[in-house]
Amino acid sequence: MKMMYGMLMALTPAALWSIYVFGPQALVRILAGVVAAVAAEAVFQKLTRQKITVKDGSAAVTGLLLGMAVSISTPWYAVSVSAAFGIIAGKQLLGGFGKNLFNPAMFGRLFYLFVFPDSILPWRQPFDLATAATPLEVLRETGEAAGVPILEMFLGLIPGTIGEVSSLLLLIGFSFLVYRKFVRWRIPAAAFSVVLVLALVAGHNPLFYFFAGSLVVGACFMATDPMTSPKFPKGQLIFGAGVGLIIMLMRWYGWQTPGVYEFTEGTTFAVLTMNLFVPFLNRKFKPAPKR
Amino acid sequence: MPESSIIRFLSVMAVMLVVGFGWFQIGLARLKKQGVDESAARTQAKQEAKKYSIIAAFLYMVAMVSVAGLFL
Repeated sequence: MKMMYGMLMALTPAALWSIYVFGPQALVRILAGVVAAVAAEAVFQKLTRQKITVKDGSAAVTGLLLGMAVSISTPWYAVSVSAAFGIIAGKQLLGGFGKNLFNPAMFGRLFYLFVFPDSILPWRQPFDLATAATPLEVLRETGEAAGVPILEMFLGLIPGTIGEVSSLLLLIGFSFLVYRKFVRWRIPAAAFSVVLVLALVAGHNPLFYFFAGSLVVGACFMATDPMTSPKFPKGQLIFGAGVGLIIMLMRWYGWQTPGVYEFTEGTTFAVLTMNLFVPFLNRKFKPAPKR
Repeated sequence: MPESSIIRFLSVMAVMLVVGFGWFQIGLARLKKQGVDESAARTQAKQEAKKYSIIAAFLYMVAMVSVAGLFL
């Protein structure tokens, strides 16, 4: 419970920044996610005669992460429906908190990508909300990681999803979680290491890949969900490395649907795919009992 | 909500229901064959069915998103 409230606190600076740069429309989407996730959990638990556990904060975290993982162009109802689906199908169907196979926020986001693909675009520029391409779209089109100042990406002055714009504030929030020992730091460490190595091998600036898309929010806040990530250190390293690898492969070779949507980022697919391997990683890397 | 979104939403539900009910029947028969008590077998089969229906929904959505040009 403490951890979930810690997570909410850690995400708050980035959420406030997004409201500042994108305006009240960002707040509407964040609230749509949080309210729908909490309401879906409460209604489902009431209907199935379970103890209502919305006070533990996990549904609010799911809603907040999902609200922050959509573009400002997305209608609020798409966020609400996706958050409710993530909570019910991704979490409650298997018995609720701690029994889920997939990260509910990411499961909701996959649902959003599938059901509302035409509501993702266009991406908007902070402040003036002009239509703009994300740094990763620029990379896909030009084949070069140059052109977008790294400092702007780091501070949060680039187009993208509501919550991914400010890497700086996300990293400050993540540092708080590490300081309080609320998250498994090995997962993002492994993910960032793989991204670093692959970027260097490709001859690109690794900082571009760190701050361009949703790597920071994905690796630091979504992949570290304690219920859907490996329990043991070696498993966490492999899990994180897998997340980093899939993200980079999606950035370079992601699916393209001309005129509809081009997948230049793969955090959702990376986290959900690696979630499938968690039971195996927990079995394989369980430390031997001490004698 | 656009009509295409409603169709996609219903298609995910359909996949989950078909896989869930199908897996429940298969799992129940398998567990009964193993000599598991009826009520315990039902509970276990139900849990397995939910798990595999969610995995099926994941695979279905990823597959459809990856071939979105054909589907949309």
